[in-house]
Amino acid sequence: MTGVIVVTGAARGIGLSIAEKLAATESFTVVGVDLAPELGLSEVMTPVQVDLTGDDGPAMVRDTVERTGLPLLGLVNNAGITRDSRLINMTDDDFGAVLEVNLGAAYRLSSELAPLLAEGGSIVNIASRAYLGNFGQFNYSMSKGGIVGLTRALALSLAPDVRVNAVAPGLIGTEMAMAIPEETLEKMVSAIPLDRMGTPEEVANVVWFLLSPLSSYITGHVVVVGGGRSLA
Amino acid sequence: MTQIFWAADVGDEWHAVRTELTRAFQSSRAAAQADTSFVYVVRQDDLLGRRGPGNAMVATGLLSAARTAAMEGSRKGWTCNVIAYDKDEERATVERWARHLLEDDSVSGELIRVGPGHIGKALP
Repeated sequence: MTGVIVVTGAARGIGLSIAEKLAATESFTVVGVDLAPELGLSEVMTPVQVDLTGDDGPAMVRDTVERTGLPLLGLVNNAGITRDSRLINMTDDDFGAVLEVNLGAAYRLSSELAPLLAEGGSIVNIASRAYLGNFGQFNYSMSKGGIVGLTRALALSLAPDVRVNAVAPGLIGTEMAMAIPEETLEKMVSAIPLDRMGTPEEVANVVWFLLSPLSSYITGHVVVVGGGRSLA
Repeated sequence: MTQIFWAADVGDEWHAVRTELTRAFQSSRAAAQADTSFVYVVRQDDLLGRRGPGNAMVATGLLSAARTAAMEGSRKGWTCNVIAYDKDEERATVERWARHLLEDDSVSGELIRVGPGHIGKALP
């Protein structure tokens, strides 16, 4: 079956990896959504450069999907930001920005696109291992926990036609991770049983599985892709 | 400062979800700044998404936030926990558990479920 899959936060990192993996199958037209201008540099997707927290953002994505004339098979809510600090020092602005992008945008876009999803379609929400708690990330952790709740609620309300699952990546070798001071990063890696950071491709593989019919009896789940970090 | 934060029903409007989570954040920050323990109280149903996405986002958002707050509080001696209750549970029963969690700092980052509704269901 051919059709469209929408990927948000598609300009770089995990989102770009997901978009590239999906596009490589040649079954999908990938609509990539991001605020960053480098989105347009990719040749594997139809770009929609838009702020998903804006009033018109989700509708612009919907218009793009409808213009393809193809069925909507999937949505990957991946866009996310961090604004870290300890709870006692966290500002209202940093709290609100993270909540709005990581949770609000995913919810509003899911609501906008759900009526378009074809029978057998699939939504994959990118949460984070931080939904289990992470020092200095009250806002991020709350937003990713909210993504887990959104996943469960949508899994119930969109069944049986559409499945909804989440992927919770741990430490992945993206620009976000590379911004962490080297000494801290080494310490973080040493706490991972598989003894390394994950790659964006390893997250994309799980997203691919959850979008595909291979996972046809799985809905409402969170798959942690974290190298065993949650056990150590 | 609120030590026992009861999550309100928010429906499915994003604005209401954001307002409720912001209210929780501001209350939590004030408690943390005062080195004071706090407890979130949510509906059991909402942790599994059974009453719609709005209430689910609030409940699971608070659970994750509590786990992070507990990490930060452990260095300062205050705690943060979550109570999830079945719809038929008495408010007094829930508050008794909440007070217990506030009085005893040996448990933090934990989810306590009051009522049998969670048995046999997914772990949140």
